[in-house]
Amino acid sequence: MTAALTLDGLAVDFSGFRAVDGVSMAVEQGELRVLLGANGAGKTTLMDLISGKTRATEGKVLVQGRDVTGLREHRIARAGVGRKFQIPSVFSGLTVRQNLEVAQSKRPSVWSNLRFALGMSEKARLAEVLELIGLGAEAEREAGLLSHGQTQWLELGMLMIQDASVILLDEPTAGMTQGETAKTAEIINRLKGRHTLLVVEHDMAFVRDIAERITVLHLGRVLAEGSVAFIENHPEVKAAYLGKQGIA
Amino acid sequence: MAGLSNYRFWAYAGLAVLLLALPLVGDEFWLNRVAKYLCYGMLGAAVALTWGYAGVLNLGQGLFFGIGAYAMAMSLKLQSYTSLQQGSDTPVPDFMLWNAQPGAPTDLCCITPGSWIWLPFQWQWTGVIVAVILPAVLAGIMGRIIFGQRISGVFVSIITLALVLLVRLVVTDAQPLTNGFNGLTDLGWLTVFSHEFDPYAKGTYYLVAVALIAVLAAARILVATRAGTILQATRDSDTRALYLGYDVPAYQTFFFAVSAAIAGLAGMLYVIVSEFASPSFLELSFSITMVVWAAVGGRGSILGAAVGAILINMIEARVSETEALVEAWKAIIGILFVVTVIYLPKGLSGLAHDGMARLRARRPSFQLKEEAGQ
Ligand SMILES: Nc1ncnc2c1ncn2[C@@H]1O[C@H](COP(=O)(O)OP(=O)(O)OP(=O)(O)O)[C@@H](O)[C@H]1O
Ligand SMILES: [Mg+2]
Repeated sequence: MTAALTLDGLAVDFSGFRAVDGVSMAVEQGELRVLLGANGAGKTTLMDLISGKTRATEGKVLVQGRDVTGLREHRIARAGVGRKFQIPSVFSGLTVRQNLEVAQSKRPSVWSNLRFALGMSEKARLAEVLELIGLGAEAEREAGLLSHGQTQWLELGMLMIQDASVILLDEPTAGMTQGETAKTAEIINRLKGRHTLLVVEHDMAFVRDIAERITVLHLGRVLAEGSVAFIENHPEVKAAYLGKQGIA
Repeated sequence: MAGLSNYRFWAYAGLAVLLLALPLVGDEFWLNRVAKYLCYGMLGAAVALTWGYAGVLNLGQGLFFGIGAYAMAMSLKLQSYTSLQQGSDTPVPDFMLWNAQPGAPTDLCCITPGSWIWLPFQWQWTGVIVAVILPAVLAGIMGRIIFGQRISGVFVSIITLALVLLVRLVVTDAQPLTNGFNGLTDLGWLTVFSHEFDPYAKGTYYLVAVALIAVLAAARILVATRAGTILQATRDSDTRALYLGYDVPAYQTFFFAVSAAIAGLAGMLYVIVSEFASPSFLELSFSITMVVWAAVGGRGSILGAAVGAILINMIEARVSETEALVEAWKAIIGILFVVTVIYLPKGLSGLAHDGMARLRARRPSFQLKEEAGQ
């Protein structure tokens, strides 16, 4: 079986500075992979390269075996890559329900969207996702009025209903309370299996909650890859984090 | 229908009934004036569509209105007795005779350099069709370039503004082709199945009123479709929409073109009602005035922006009957704009909207009180 997401020697050169410098990895179908690394290690840039925000200068990105390197952002999205940014972004002027409806549309062209009704199966799926992210009661509220945590969950819900095969999450618990973080871990655990996930996260307690395998980035390169226990006891990883707050 | 709640429907229906009933209370002269304001109402709706729904502030909407106006005026000019008087086989606009080089043939093909452009407009429907299609096509090309480059915000405004001024320069400069600053005057009447649309007849008022109602309904339905929701999504966060797989420039361009077509239609109808087309349509002040109408009426509402345009013009007409207020009016409009932008960002329609919401929230408690009273 082909991996859901394959990176092959991916690199980007910002006029001499290589923020991502030859990263190769394969994430299997339905796997949840955590991306660890100190500030400036290149985690966000790696996601930029996968999602098409930044163009890779070297290497390849394969989604479900299909080469998407160099495609425009919305084309990569249609190839099955969903992305959540570090700063949550939803459609603030639309209701929660409308946000999900926009994310749900299977056909992206203007002409095919000159219609009103959702199909029965679409409606059912929408209700299901509303429940999953715990925003059933907020469905008719304007998204701009949601709390920080709710906004993050709505964005997660949009990725679910978009039905992306590969989901990139950049620090999904940033700025959350402990309770909110726990709920987010729960939502993410539900995504596992159905979607393939690549998650950037700093909070080690949270990582232990969700992770199977971890890839550690350091100065734009893969430093180590393995299970949570393996990474936590890895001497080079410890060294890379030395002088910072430490990995725990 | 999706997205169209009840009171909204009644607001639209109410306006339609009101517009169709106006001929019962006004004379022809007044109706002619109102018909012009209804054309402005269409412009208000066109601005709301791009500014309110797409977040694209077009400061050159007058370009599309102007194209619509000139296209219609070219056809009606050739229907005019002033063009038919010349004794040649084909009509020639009178101003071309005055601008022609000595010895030039008295024929539309070559009386002045480029006058052949007028040839297709001998058929009246060329004017009608070009008035709507050319703005849409032009907007489509502009949109592809502007939005395709991910240009947004104030830069779009600057580009559209520059473009309308550029076209105005060309139009005023091409005197032998456009009659320059004087514009196109002494026009004939639109004739459909041998019915002549006399600008001062009720039939012409109805033509404009029905067109406005149709445009408002169509635009409202359009923004209630999924495509309309997606457009609003691109306004709130174009990156989010992009990463959901939407070709954001395609959505922006589509609605930009629809808005341009509406403005072109407004320009076309305006010429039928007012019997002239002038380069003043291409002046910056006119395009900015449209934005003020939409802001005061409420750019988030198609209906609100249209009503804003109509009301402001009606009030202006009243005010300008009083000599002393004519100058003051400009200041009043300026202040009105600033006040709405600061205190009423959703305009009058936003106010009405909030009012309705409050009324609804209150209603149950009213009923309780009544029951307790009994
Ligand atoms: N467009 C760019 N041009 C130049 N340098 C860039 C650009 N984007 C990112 N960088 C640099 O690349 C490095 C990696 O940044 P990146 O944002 O990927 O780090 P990160 O691992 O996500 O860090 P953090 O944990 O702080 O989010 C940083 O030094 C950053 O300054
Ligand atoms: Mg980052």
